[in-house]
Amino acid sequence: MSTTAIDTSLLERAVGKLPTDALMPLRLEALRSFSETGFPTTRHEDWRYTNLAPVVEVSNLWLRDAAVGIVDATVNDAAMEYASELASRIDAYWIVIANGIVHKDSLTRLAAHALRGFDAVSLAGDDLVQPISGDDPMTRLNTALLRDVLRITIRADNTLDKPVGLLTIDDASSGAALSQTRVIIETERNSRAEIIEYHASAGGHRHFANAVTELDLASGASVNYVRIQNRDTEHFQSGRLMARLHRDSNFRHTAFDLGGGLIRNDVDVDIVEPGASVELYGLYLASGQQHIDNHTRVDHRVGPAASTEEYCGILGDRSRCVFNGKVIVHRGADGTDARQSNHNLLLSEKAEIDTKPELEIYADDVKCSHGATVGQLDKTALFYLRSRGLDRDEAAQMLTRAFAAAVVSKSTVQAVRNHVETLIDQRLRTLAGGLS
Amino acid sequence: MLEISNLKARIGDTEILTGLTLSVNAGEVHAIMGPNGSGKSTLALVIAGHEDYVVTDGTVHFMGEDLLALDPEERARIGLFLGFQYPVEIAGVNNAYLLKAALNAKRRAQGEEEVDAFEFLKLAREKMALLDMDPALLNRGLNEGFSGGEKKRNEILQMAVLEPRLAILDETDSGLDIDALKAVAKGVNSLRDPEHAIVLVTHYQRLLDYVEPDFVHVLSGGKIIRSGDKSLALKLEEKGYDWVREAASA
Repeated sequence: MSTTAIDTSLLERAVGKLPTDALMPLRLEALRSFSETGFPTTRHEDWRYTNLAPVVEVSNLWLRDAAVGIVDATVNDAAMEYASELASRIDAYWIVIANGIVHKDSLTRLAAHALRGFDAVSLAGDDLVQPISGDDPMTRLNTALLRDVLRITIRADNTLDKPVGLLTIDDASSGAALSQTRVIIETERNSRAEIIEYHASAGGHRHFANAVTELDLASGASVNYVRIQNRDTEHFQSGRLMARLHRDSNFRHTAFDLGGGLIRNDVDVDIVEPGASVELYGLYLASGQQHIDNHTRVDHRVGPAASTEEYCGILGDRSRCVFNGKVIVHRGADGTDARQSNHNLLLSEKAEIDTKPELEIYADDVKCSHGATVGQLDKTALFYLRSRGLDRDEAAQMLTRAFAAAVVSKSTVQAVRNHVETLIDQRLRTLAGGLS
Repeated sequence: MLEISNLKARIGDTEILTGLTLSVNAGEVHAIMGPNGSGKSTLALVIAGHEDYVVTDGTVHFMGEDLLALDPEERARIGLFLGFQYPVEIAGVNNAYLLKAALNAKRRAQGEEEVDAFEFLKLAREKMALLDMDPALLNRGLNEGFSGGEKKRNEILQMAVLEPRLAILDETDSGLDIDALKAVAKGVNSLRDPEHAIVLVTHYQRLLDYVEPDFVHVLSGGKIIRSGDKSLALKLEEKGYDWVREAASA
């Protein structure tokens, strides 16, 4: 355990350099509460297996510059090329958030589409008219250093003709970088949308991206949400998604962690009205020294409602992954149906998974199940494939890809499935090779 | 084509093959029969290169090569095929995808051009029709949710597409109804010509009514204790394995 702590005086000065706008009171309040706790340490049960020391270090590096006002959020052309390259592969209404700032050109481009059924606005400074929530340390840090908020509203009774894509791209080419991305998504009654949240990074310096997304599903709304994290393996990220589900809404979240050095994802789902259904799927693929931590929490406050969760991990080399899935069935949430599973494929003896499904039930009439597995590639299946002429690596890749396919198939967007399959194949060529 | 000489093999501490000698030439169909535990499946798996079995003595040559020095995939690429007694189910590995990868791995190794998706589908559909198989099975996961008969037909489909020089079919007939048995026999007979050889490992004589063997061998205690023509199979069916064991030890 590291004793490194955030330099709060630098943080205070960095906040002081931000514009004195309508956000300032929120920032100062968040700064005060964040300074009391600092970053969570491994002494916190929720952070037991994830040591944020490297994140603290890169944050302090950035704060040193920010405190004297010498950081800017511009990104280089390479990052913007990445955005257009991605847009050519996945057809969506793309909005770019670069180093925490909503790229205004990408919003202007969308404004040209009159009948698309949603609004996207940047709420920088004085435009922010609504309170923002979240009281965990990472969200407080995000608020304290907030410069921009993207708000998306999916209009009532509309079905979007293509996904809304949020490309969060961070550029650490000119020095250690820290970014705070904030997105608020509101879906109105009976609207239907697919949303793609894509995280990428560039630049040779160290980077920590801290993203917070709030999602509100009105009654009858349906959202297919895909998160793809494809950061540089030297870059760090913490992402929190807070979803609130109203009557008869449907929420499907499919998450792919394919890159990143130190990654922590939190998905919090709050079921506040009956009839809602939630599906959480995740795939994490780690090699080298990567560390990927997925925490999910589903609060069944009322019933009937259903939640299904399946996370799968592929771990090679000395990578380490964490899965913690918490399901809380509150008093009176009768008619809850909650299922959860976590499956892990270890391709190396030195890889480590810490998995912990947690179930807390305070209601009587519920159906709940959970389970976790950890295993290696099936020897019999490997021999079978080799006996058909496939070499060892090819056979191992085929089996590993098959393991991943269970999650990939959950995404409702064909272009996303194709893209993710390509990324997985690229990774597996180096990961599964020689390990069977 | 296949020359096995004094082959001894063990799994763990148990010696299963105890000095087996067998010679198979191109164009021949051999049936290997024997009671449970006599070493039939072990023989098939050792020839295919299963790593759990350790060869302690003897030699196996196939197409003039020292087979025991080759990896399972290398054996497959020079024309060896094992039809599994228990074909594995792998959800997420598409049946057609695997079959095309297998065919092209072999073609590459033999210096032939790879087949494209169109050519492959044409070939696969043709062979499926021969085996009376539902074409929809091609796009399912490998043996995923297949019935016992469908799995065995799928093994024969792979064999028919790969056209191995030597096919060893391990109890492919077990658990089949009469229609499936006839379909499997049709597939096996389609491979039968002067260039190819087939070894049928079987417990019963039933399949041999449809695929007539040139030679029948009885395996007992890890070695071949008697060889003959197809009439030997009929005699075994009538008199049981004890008869041949007693005759051998007499």
